[in-house]
Amino acid sequence: MSWFFKSKQVNLAILVASFMIGFVPYFIKVPQVNEFANTLTNISSVVGQFTIVIAIYSQYRRSLRFIRERRKGWVYNIYLLTFMSLMILIGFTWGEHNATYMWLVNSIVAPCSSVVYGILAFYMFSAGARAFRARSLKASLLIVAGVIVLLYQAPLTGSVIPGIEPYAVFLTGTVGMSLSRMFAIAIITGAIMLNVRMLTGRELAFLGFAREEES
Amino acid sequence: MAELLFEIPGVESGRAFGLILILGIFILGIYYMRRGKLPYIRRVAAIDAISEAVGRSTEMGKPVLCSYGTGGFGYAVIAAMSILGHVARTCAETDTRLLVPTGGSHTSYLTRELAIDIVKGQYTAAGKPEMYNEDDMPFLSGEQYSFTAGYIGMLVRDRPGAVIMTGGHSSEAMNIAEMSNLVGALTITSGTYVSNMAALACASDYIMLVDEQPAAGAYLSKDPEQLATIRVVDIYKVLSLLLIVVGLLVLNTTGNDFIRRLLAS
Repeated sequence: MSWFFKSKQVNLAILVASFMIGFVPYFIKVPQVNEFANTLTNISSVVGQFTIVIAIYSQYRRSLRFIRERRKGWVYNIYLLTFMSLMILIGFTWGEHNATYMWLVNSIVAPCSSVVYGILAFYMFSAGARAFRARSLKASLLIVAGVIVLLYQAPLTGSVIPGIEPYAVFLTGTVGMSLSRMFAIAIITGAIMLNVRMLTGRELAFLGFAREEES
Repeated sequence: MAELLFEIPGVESGRAFGLILILGIFILGIYYMRRGKLPYIRRVAAIDAISEAVGRSTEMGKPVLCSYGTGGFGYAVIAAMSILGHVARTCAETDTRLLVPTGGSHTSYLTRELAIDIVKGQYTAAGKPEMYNEDDMPFLSGEQYSFTAGYIGMLVRDRPGAVIMTGGHSSEAMNIAEMSNLVGALTITSGTYVSNMAALACASDYIMLVDEQPAAGAYLSKDPEQLATIRVVDIYKVLSLLLIVVGLLVLNTTGNDFIRRLLAS
């Protein structure tokens, strides 16, 4: 039976059918298809949740191997497994709104995530410092524009330097906005064309077909 | 919202012109595919650099780290899967270890299974199924920043020779790209999240911008039929720009909002 689900034609047929079920109700008024599309989306979400089990198994397996082989940083895997097991146990036993579970989320997961997010500021700074070198006319223009926007955005200098506001607002609101809209149009057009290639069976690498199988 | 220029019976209000545009892309795409005439395609440095990145890692005896984004099945992740397949195949052919960190969001569990299937498939197609190691495709976390911390941990521990970070990455992309630079890896990224592009361009050695990533699969395949479709994207980009410029000129000089109403339809 596995040959049936692994065949290119069957995969392509499922792809086209799923596309039509998602695409048609967005544009055409067909309530029955709309209802069916919602049901199908719910079913696929439920089925998708089963993959969580595989992901958790993978995490346990890898962490246990790290600990067993005393690989670099193996101690952190003990923390990881302990807290992961604890959260699974509490979550399954008392639910996700339980006070202990919420404490783990609000006092451990959220602050740790905030730390990683906070570090972003320093990375932005170091990348900016590397990029802002006036090696050409384009780079020089970038620096001038960057410095104007930076000075305006910073709370202290933005309110102190007179006359900087119209230039910074023009750069972000007109130049920056129009370019980001242009990017969005190009990305969406490229994405639709990708869909055309997929639906006509030209580009099927994402379904796991190797090069020879595709052609 | 602007007044509609026209409506088509049976089509949702305000989506008729969009439907015509999309159907137009489909028809033009199929036409160009059938024609198979190869248009001029400029060199995309970031995509060409993938082979260089894998070669560099092979020579240095280091692994390649390739990720496909943190989201669910969006176009960016699908395009990134094509790139992952290409990287896996090149790694298999050159006996280079490939690391693929997975996870990053609640919708990433499903894409992970597909990524595993792709890597396994490419190793098998290259005649080296034994190269597949489940531990090289770890699930790091379903939370964005836990995933980021795990990703950075892999970069520091395994010191890859190249990092190919494609697909939809959000703010974590900057942490990863900068850390990749710090460990001396050749960094190739893709900017699909518009707000991220400028920052990623600063942090990466090569970056795929705008529609380069969706076109990567076609570009890498070197198949004339697929490459021909890239011309359609160019046609639509020019058409969009013309509509915007003409619409602005006409609106500001004559006060006629024909194009605005057309786009609102």
